[in-house]
Amino acid sequence: MTAVRIAAATLPAIPFPHPVGRPVALCVAVVAAAWIALRPQSALALLDWSPHLLQGFAMNVLISASAIALGTLIGLILGVLELSSLRLLRLPAITYVQIFRNAPHLVLIFATTYALPFEIAIGGWHVPFPDWLKAVVGLAVPASAHIAEIARGAIQSIPAAQWEAAGSLGFGRLQTLRWIILPQGLRRSLPAWMNLYASIAMGSALASLVGVGELLHAATDASTAVRRTDFTIAVYLTVLVAFFAYCYPISRLTQRLERRFAV
Amino acid sequence: MADTLLAHITLAPLTLDGVIAFAKGYGLNFSFLKSAYERDMWLEGFRTTLVLIAVTIPVSLAGGILLAGCLTAKSRLLSLPARLFVELTRNTPTLVQLVCAFLGLNMLISDALGGAGRNPFGAFFWVVTVVGLHGAAYHAEALRAGIEAVPDTMREAARSLGFGRLEILRWVELPMALRIALPAIFNNLVNIVKLTTVASAVAVGEITYASIMIWTQRDIVVELMIVLLLFFSAINLALSQVGFWLERRLRTPGLGPAGLGL
Repeated sequence: MTAVRIAAATLPAIPFPHPVGRPVALCVAVVAAAWIALRPQSALALLDWSPHLLQGFAMNVLISASAIALGTLIGLILGVLELSSLRLLRLPAITYVQIFRNAPHLVLIFATTYALPFEIAIGGWHVPFPDWLKAVVGLAVPASAHIAEIARGAIQSIPAAQWEAAGSLGFGRLQTLRWIILPQGLRRSLPAWMNLYASIAMGSALASLVGVGELLHAATDASTAVRRTDFTIAVYLTVLVAFFAYCYPISRLTQRLERRFAV
Repeated sequence: MADTLLAHITLAPLTLDGVIAFAKGYGLNFSFLKSAYERDMWLEGFRTTLVLIAVTIPVSLAGGILLAGCLTAKSRLLSLPARLFVELTRNTPTLVQLVCAFLGLNMLISDALGGAGRNPFGAFFWVVTVVGLHGAAYHAEALRAGIEAVPDTMREAARSLGFGRLEILRWVELPMALRIALPAIFNNLVNIVKLTTVASAVAVGEITYASIMIWTQRDIVVELMIVLLLFFSAINLALSQVGFWLERRLRTPGLGPAGLGL
């Protein structure tokens, strides 16, 4: 125990990387201003296409938020199952996590797009199952596998004594999990969860390859319609900047939380 | 009778027809393997993915070490551009980076050289560059954390022995940082393997692309998907085993759980 404390005390503090949001914004502003001045026609075309691009980006936000929500729900259940004392529950959960944690996101998106039906019959109703929803499932699968590991790690990081203490107070295993372990584990796993959120947000761009009308797809539409080299470059750079604006604040917040929770 | 039956069962999957019949027993239709065109394209896809991985991993490691050196440099002239590059790479989708490079940068290069025919860079080059640099950014962060976790006393000891800044980086910080960052680096390598599938977006004939070509002709998505998942699982399992082996081999005495007497 003493050894642990000494080791922790001698570890250097993790320095906080310089924020880059401002320099990036400055670069973007300078490049954009120069481009607008030199090629006003292309700049106007970009303005024309901006509603279409914005709509595409809204799709990215929708896909990533739904995927992380669905993935979190399934992942939490899987994480608990991974720690179950019943082999019949534990083994399938571990297998699922191992397979889908190592699977490329793109392959899973293709899998769900082609393998899932275009509508589902529930009772007499035919509920449509659009491509964007299939992309959500395709991203939720790897997300759930990662969240299962995050949840398992968080649960295992809580001292065993707390389980015993809760047991002695008359809590059942599930009650201990719900009221004692999960509330603490959730706080600890927040940075890892946010990292995953950023990675799923970036993964939503892959949906363009299966024909979902998200930002990258909208940019391709625009570039094929306008057919100008400088416009093509500008529109794809816009996509890059839009994703950066979405993901960078998340990763900054993650770093801040990591520092706060650091031992 | 029993002997011939046994021979049939064990040898059956070794021939092409055997493989197809064997899979059929499980309800999987692999009859596309009989078409030489599709079979060759598919097998070439496996080969291309392996080549892509084999080329991209060293590129990412070399880039990562270079970037980590810049990130930890005293001079802001070195550290700020490196930090900008790392953050930009880590916070934008690799597919978008690839599109920017392949459709944007590549087009500019073609224009400057006077025609796409004179442009020596192809889709494969851009995939290796983009995925490699993406991996490099993640390696660099892992190595930076590793370099910063090297105890100050070691740095001071090296300085007192007359080591310069670069010598300390080369002989003290990097060897230690590599060991500390090893788990993170192998995690990144697994990610790189998964990322090589974006090559299919720019029509590099790797295994995902070959599979897409085949399943748009035949309705056998599930069959090919199972093989794809098993293939990537096998590569990544092998990679993580190499990682564990290296971690054990390079374990620094006095550091880690064993050193703490846990």
